[in-house]
Amino acid sequence: MNAWTVILAAGLGSYLFRLSMIVLFDRITMPAHLQRASELVAPAAFTALAATGVATACMGLGVTQAAAPLAAVAAAIIAVLRTGSSQAAILVGMPTLWITAAMLPS
Amino acid sequence: MAPWLAGLVPFGLVIGVSAAQSDVPTLAGWLTGPLIYAGSAQVATIGMLDAGAAPVVVVTAALIINIRLIFYSATMARHWRGTPWWWRLAAAYLLVDPSVAVGLDGYRRLSRSRAHAHYLGGAVLLWVSWLAAIGVGATAGAGLPAWLHLEFVIPLFLVGQAIAKLADPAMRRAIFVAATVALLALSAPLQLGIVLAIAAGVAAGLNARSDGPAQSIHPLQPSTEVPR
Repeated sequence: MNAWTVILAAGLGSYLFRLSMIVLFDRITMPAHLQRASELVAPAAFTALAATGVATACMGLGVTQAAAPLAAVAAAIIAVLRTGSSQAAILVGMPTLWITAAMLPS
Repeated sequence: MAPWLAGLVPFGLVIGVSAAQSDVPTLAGWLTGPLIYAGSAQVATIGMLDAGAAPVVVVTAALIINIRLIFYSATMARHWRGTPWWWRLAAAYLLVDPSVAVGLDGYRRLSRSRAHAHYLGGAVLLWVSWLAAIGVGATAGAGLPAWLHLEFVIPLFLVGQAIAKLADPAMRRAIFVAATVALLALSAPLQLGIVLAIAAGVAAGLNARSDGPAQSIHPLQPSTEVPR
């Protein structure tokens, strides 16, 4: 299964989800705990992907160079906590990454 | 619809840039837009394919993230009873967080026929804007210099999305547990650590909710935050 097939399969499954209750509406009642779980999936998934992505990026660099992405993440966290805007993570984190990477010895 | 578009366009640009910077063919990355048409699942699909995860794991993760679409389907089903099947097939395809929010607003305020048009108009505008934003990001992202490290935009975007949810106790527990498990399971084969971390985070969040007072965090509140 290559990337194209994966995307097609994920797309087909997603469309079936969208269509499911429109077809089955009169026959199924959705459990409340499943509704609550669905609200938690995206934050948990985003966190898992972020932690994995940052850790993998750092492991591919030397100890010194890994300081740049770590500094960017730290700055992003502080920016979001101070502003309450998720978009501050990129607006602050990327310049921090560029500046830190430029200052570090290669 | 305007508040949704303001949050959606930058998200689409980020997904386009990440598709261009990843090992996934750029066209395949863009096709996550019309095929999957749900930002968080698109991010997960592109990110996991780029990381070399097994296909079954990628599809499973994308579908777990998109489980909420079943609830949106249930929410809209009662409004679409009696409409032609071709209309329901098309309207279902366009179901996503912002279109449901805009659609429900229309069904509260307007007559049924006008609300149908309100939903379809808003949903099509959203769909076109989304695909255009991903296309622009993918096109621009491919030509940008390597020192910009644009591959780091997605992790930072995800960090921002997660940190912004910390105020809710259940979300907070889900986020901390998911991060911890993801880091502990870094060496798991086929990127299974990500799926494990999602499951652990959701379980921890549900446990926190059962411990404390019920809180509504309905995902369809219009805001400046990015639609999932």
